[in-house]
Amino acid sequence: MGSAGTALQDVWALQQNSAGAASIEHAIFALGYEQHYLNPELSTQSAVLGLPVKKHVLGISLQRYGITEYLEQTAGLALSRSFSTALSISLALKYHQVSIPVYGNGHAISVEAGMQYNLNNRIRLGSYIYNPGGSRITELSGSHISSGISVGLAYLVSDKVLFISDVDKMIDFGMNIRMGIEYQIIGRFYLRGGLSANPFLQTGGFGLKHKKFSLDAAISSHPRLGYSPNLSFNYEF
Amino acid sequence: MNSDYRRLTLLILFCLIHCKTAYTQVQHDILIEQILESIAPEFSEDHDYSEILERLNHYRRSPLNLNIANKEQLQELFFISPVQVRSIINHREENGLFIDVLELQSLPGFDPQTIRWLLNFIVVLPPGELKSISFNKLLHKAEHDLMLRFGRVLEKQSGFSASGLSESNYAGSAMRMFTRYRYNYSNVLFASLNMEKDAGESLTLGKGGKGFDFYSANISYKGNGIVRKVIAGDYALQFGQGLGIWAGAGFGKGANLSTIAKQDVGLRPYSSVNESLFMRGIAGTFRFKAISVTPFYSGRRIDAGRAESGLEVSSIQVSGLHRTRTEILNKNVLSQRIYGANAQFNTGDLSAGFTAYHNRFSLPFAEGKSLYQQYNFKGSTLNNISLNYSYTFRNTYIFGEAAHSLNSGFALLKGLVSSIAPPVSLVMLYRNYDRNYHSFFNQGLAEASNAVNERGFYSGLSIRLNRAWELYTYSDFFRFPWLKFKVDGPSSGYELLGQISYTPGKLFKLIGRFRQQTREENAEEDGSGLDIVDKQDLRVEMTCKISNDFSIRNRAQIVRYQKGNQNPEFGFMSFQDIIYDPMGSKISGNLRFAIFETSGFNTRIYTYENDVLYSYSVPAYQGKGVRFYINGRYTLSRRTDLWLRYSLISYANQETTGSGGDLINGNKRSDIRLQLRFQF
Repeated sequence: MGSAGTALQDVWALQQNSAGAASIEHAIFALGYEQHYLNPELSTQSAVLGLPVKKHVLGISLQRYGITEYLEQTAGLALSRSFSTALSISLALKYHQVSIPVYGNGHAISVEAGMQYNLNNRIRLGSYIYNPGGSRITELSGSHISSGISVGLAYLVSDKVLFISDVDKMIDFGMNIRMGIEYQIIGRFYLRGGLSANPFLQTGGFGLKHKKFSLDAAISSHPRLGYSPNLSFNYEF
Repeated sequence: MNSDYRRLTLLILFCLIHCKTAYTQVQHDILIEQILESIAPEFSEDHDYSEILERLNHYRRSPLNLNIANKEQLQELFFISPVQVRSIINHREENGLFIDVLELQSLPGFDPQTIRWLLNFIVVLPPGELKSISFNKLLHKAEHDLMLRFGRVLEKQSGFSASGLSESNYAGSAMRMFTRYRYNYSNVLFASLNMEKDAGESLTLGKGGKGFDFYSANISYKGNGIVRKVIAGDYALQFGQGLGIWAGAGFGKGANLSTIAKQDVGLRPYSSVNESLFMRGIAGTFRFKAISVTPFYSGRRIDAGRAESGLEVSSIQVSGLHRTRTEILNKNVLSQRIYGANAQFNTGDLSAGFTAYHNRFSLPFAEGKSLYQQYNFKGSTLNNISLNYSYTFRNTYIFGEAAHSLNSGFALLKGLVSSIAPPVSLVMLYRNYDRNYHSFFNQGLAEASNAVNERGFYSGLSIRLNRAWELYTYSDFFRFPWLKFKVDGPSSGYELLGQISYTPGKLFKLIGRFRQQTREENAEEDGSGLDIVDKQDLRVEMTCKISNDFSIRNRAQIVRYQKGNQNPEFGFMSFQDIIYDPMGSKISGNLRFAIFETSGFNTRIYTYENDVLYSYSVPAYQGKGVRFYINGRYTLSRRTDLWLRYSLISYANQETTGSGGDLINGNKRSDIRLQLRFQF
């Protein structure tokens, strides 16, 4: 859905706006895999876990991206909470590790914070700030962690159609507008499509929910670099 | 008793509806312009909208009866989508006749904007009983419509100053003349005649003279039996998605989902003054149950430039101008003979068709000189075949076309339009056109001017947030596998458009639109590869009806252009329109004052301008200056109307305007146009 997830609520929110994980009611675990530009060597692997603890939701997210010559690994710990039916807030810490065998390894910790607000039962707004302190990986000069802010909305256009859109601005990169649409075409089967403006990406995919399992598959297309398929799998306890 | 009562109710309803439609009519200039603006994101000289203008004006005067209009007639109102057309027909089949136009609001796939537009072109009347007003009037009665138009640039242009013919000196006078005649007998028999002379073309009367530079005429018959249509003279053919054969007006990507899936109307009399892209000969449509067959034959001469040898032609010329020595020399150089047929199978939800035709030219086309022209058409005969289909499944319309030029390439297009929820419509379209696909009547959806050498994926979404707010967006990614003019390598690009409109009622409309286009082009420095050309366009427009008689409209537009690492260029334009159109008055008109400042050609801004009836102008505002026009209509009598238009463009810091034969010594160019119409 064009990665426009700032106002979305599910376990994958732990990667885009952890406030979206506050609505989790049962422990949920998910795995994701994305192959970049159909290159079997370049991929992102992720795992997320959402665990409701009393009124809070504890979230853990792990991510690994790169090749042996360049590897980025991230581990995040998030605490999310709904303060009423309308507002949820979250705070997260992320530990980053970059390893470039030729140069060495580096570590850093960054802070992220997000909120989501239900304007009414159809419209939800969300915002997310990542790495406002501008943490850098000091061991590898020049290797820094992106800082920015994203603001988005999720709009339930009808019972079957969800529209999402957000605007993302990184400090040292141009503004990006993303949007996506999800259509519940039949039963628990969903079709999705999306768009990102900068970089320009067109995405499409589907999702399938069956009892406690759900499976999502998508593909994104970059004008020059080509296609990147991704697959994710959720299990709700 | 019962039937009398019913008749009375219908009569009362008829009166009510009639009054209602009279009040819901938006002023006609604004309305038709809004529709056109929604179809074409950027006007340019490449497109010809005169046929569309004529079609819309026709249905405004004699609206379609929603209870008897068939699919083909509804499709002629091209701003409604195939899903909406199907929705109207389904409603009639399932729930019986419409009683009120407002029933449209409850139909799947309809939005308030489309309904507001549609109300100007339809009526709801019981079929057979009262007929449509215009139909009654026309019954066994001939209707004539004669129109004369004159115009000229008032300043002295260099092409008219010297005697003798050259590249910069024109053959004829600066006067533009146009005569248009239409005949309609009981909506069964029609005739049409257009005669035109552009500025600089010669008008030779008397013995041996050919008179006007361009003539176009046809006689056509419309029937309900086996013989559906027969046309002798100039005609246009539109089948499928326009890859194989599509003559007459076509649209590109616009801020309106409904025109992405082209709605073919088959055989039509040709009525435009565009001097290319039509057929001249005889054609007919015959219907046998669910199958319609349209055989056609055309033989005409077209303008072309000769190759150096003189025995071959290098290119076809489509401007239709015959003013300079070369233009006159190239006139009618080539003769083109076409024959073929289309067979179309139609049931309610499914339509499938096959077209095959043969082209023969009197002179062969020469091999292209440049590398990018390597796959262009060569030789003197071409055979085209194409297969088209469309299918409606619930709220989704699927369409496509596969076309092939025998012994060369293929062109393929497929797409779908879906109204996935009442406020949401979605379009997706994939296209793949070979570099060596050839068709002389190819108007498939494409980023380039022709559907050739291109692959792309278009997706569009429109969401109605509530009665007032509407969001529209599309993205298109395209790739050109082979070289193009000024692009010495395979290239790609994309386009994005986002539009928000706010229409709280009938009196006010606000539109904001952003468009981003990115493509590749040769770098300034030779041999240093391709540079990315980035163009952004932001506009805000407001239309407001300030009283019963007056409306105002303003627009501000900013364009940013950047090529590679060069400095960005900017263009700015803003206009103010005042529209005076009181109901039932003899006088109506509009005027515009615009200012513009653009860095040059790259940031020029095309703007649609109101003109005399059936006419339009789309000048590019380029450089720095002001633009003014005033356009008025006066109804002399019930049968006679008069239009007058004066326009002026005045540049700052410029000593001359125009170039070639159009050069004016001075910084102003003004133009006057007079039009008379008699209906009898």
